[in-house]
Amino acid sequence: MPVSLSVQPGTEVPIYRQIVRQVVEAIAAGSLSQGERMPSHRELAILLAVAPLTVKKAYDEMEARGLLASRQGAGTFVIGTPADAPSSQARRAPLRESARALAAEAALHGLSLEELLQLVRAEHARLENER
Amino acid sequence: MSTPLSIRGLRRHYRLEQPVLEGVDLDVRPGEIVGLIGRNGAGKSTLIKLALGLLQPHGGTVRVFGLDPLAQPVEVKRRVGYVAEDQILPSTLCVDDLLALHAELFPTWEPAAAESMIERFGLPRRRRIHALSKGQARQVALICALAHRPELLLLDEPASGLDPAARREFLELSIERLSGAGSAILFSSHQMGDVERLAQRIVFLDGGRVALECPVDEIAARHSLAVVRGRWEAAQFAQLPWVLRVRRREDFTHVVLAGNADDAARELGAGFGCTIVNSRPLPLEELFVELTGAER
Repeated sequence: MPVSLSVQPGTEVPIYRQIVRQVVEAIAAGSLSQGERMPSHRELAILLAVAPLTVKKAYDEMEARGLLASRQGAGTFVIGTPADAPSSQARRAPLRESARALAAEAALHGLSLEELLQLVRAEHARLENER
Repeated sequence: MSTPLSIRGLRRHYRLEQPVLEGVDLDVRPGEIVGLIGRNGAGKSTLIKLALGLLQPHGGTVRVFGLDPLAQPVEVKRRVGYVAEDQILPSTLCVDDLLALHAELFPTWEPAAAESMIERFGLPRRRRIHALSKGQARQVALICALAHRPELLLLDEPASGLDPAARREFLELSIERLSGAGSAILFSSHQMGDVERLAQRIVFLDGGRVALECPVDEIAARHSLAVVRGRWEAAQFAQLPWVLRVRRREDFTHVVLAGNADDAARELGAGFGCTIVNSRPLPLEELFVELTGAER
């Protein structure tokens, strides 16, 4: 698979959801395209060191959403197109409220927008490093 | 297929005045991976030893594939694999001889699988067990536990004391070897990250019982913390069954809740006049800390 997936235990987001999110993002970004074969449950489970049933749960959800399809004996394939995957707009929506709260708190502490962005960038970099 | 592990009303003490297990009920279903968590001394190792028939229960029943591990020890052990932190392997045997011994004992032993695992770990075949590093000894124990393709794998803090790379290798191999075979796994661990990766369900032992069980995917959605201003007593929330713990932290009280953070916070605020400073979902590690951590 041309896309590298990784999961992060210890967060509020269950591992199967992390897998769904990353595959959906890869489809939306075009790095996974229609017709591409996905790793088997077992292959991906070993790759990510997670239980195979967790991978199955993620695949089942993406099949239900019409992004993947499995063919008996042949494996699981990407059938969704970027149009089927949620847009960047839709992915932003759930974060809007947190962003507003953060902006308000920054104002309360007298942080400028630039200072706030610096803080967010630093934290983002820290998370990336921990992966 | 009978249930890999079925435990009812299990009791066990080491000293009379100090019970460890006081009525544990637990099932591990075919193909299921269960993470057993709890503080040191909560009885995780005791429970696993009872499941294997290494200890005698003082009450209740243990059945492994419907068999009593004390009455039918050979039948049970042939279908079970076991790795423990404090496991004692015959120290004067070399790696090859120990594996040959296991091959004799287990009718379903797969020599090719054992070979490939030795290769993979790069184990010194002629070295005696006592001369192996801690990590190597654990790897040998894992091969002994996996090469007969057990239908139930019991792991008692199998990866403690291993470096992160060896721990990861250990987990990957267990998954690889048993996935698809429908084998069930019960493993105890203090590594919450490993539990989240591997387990479908957690069982939390506390006070001699199963204090909580939950599918791993639903932990954060089903458990939350409300930080309340002031010092509150557990008794004040006694009529709320969804309050799991009340933990005082200086001028604040942590209320651990079974349920959605917003709903629970609303009820505490409206029903009890609590001032809620913060409420948030609890992923596994934080849930563990909130349930077991000290007060001050």
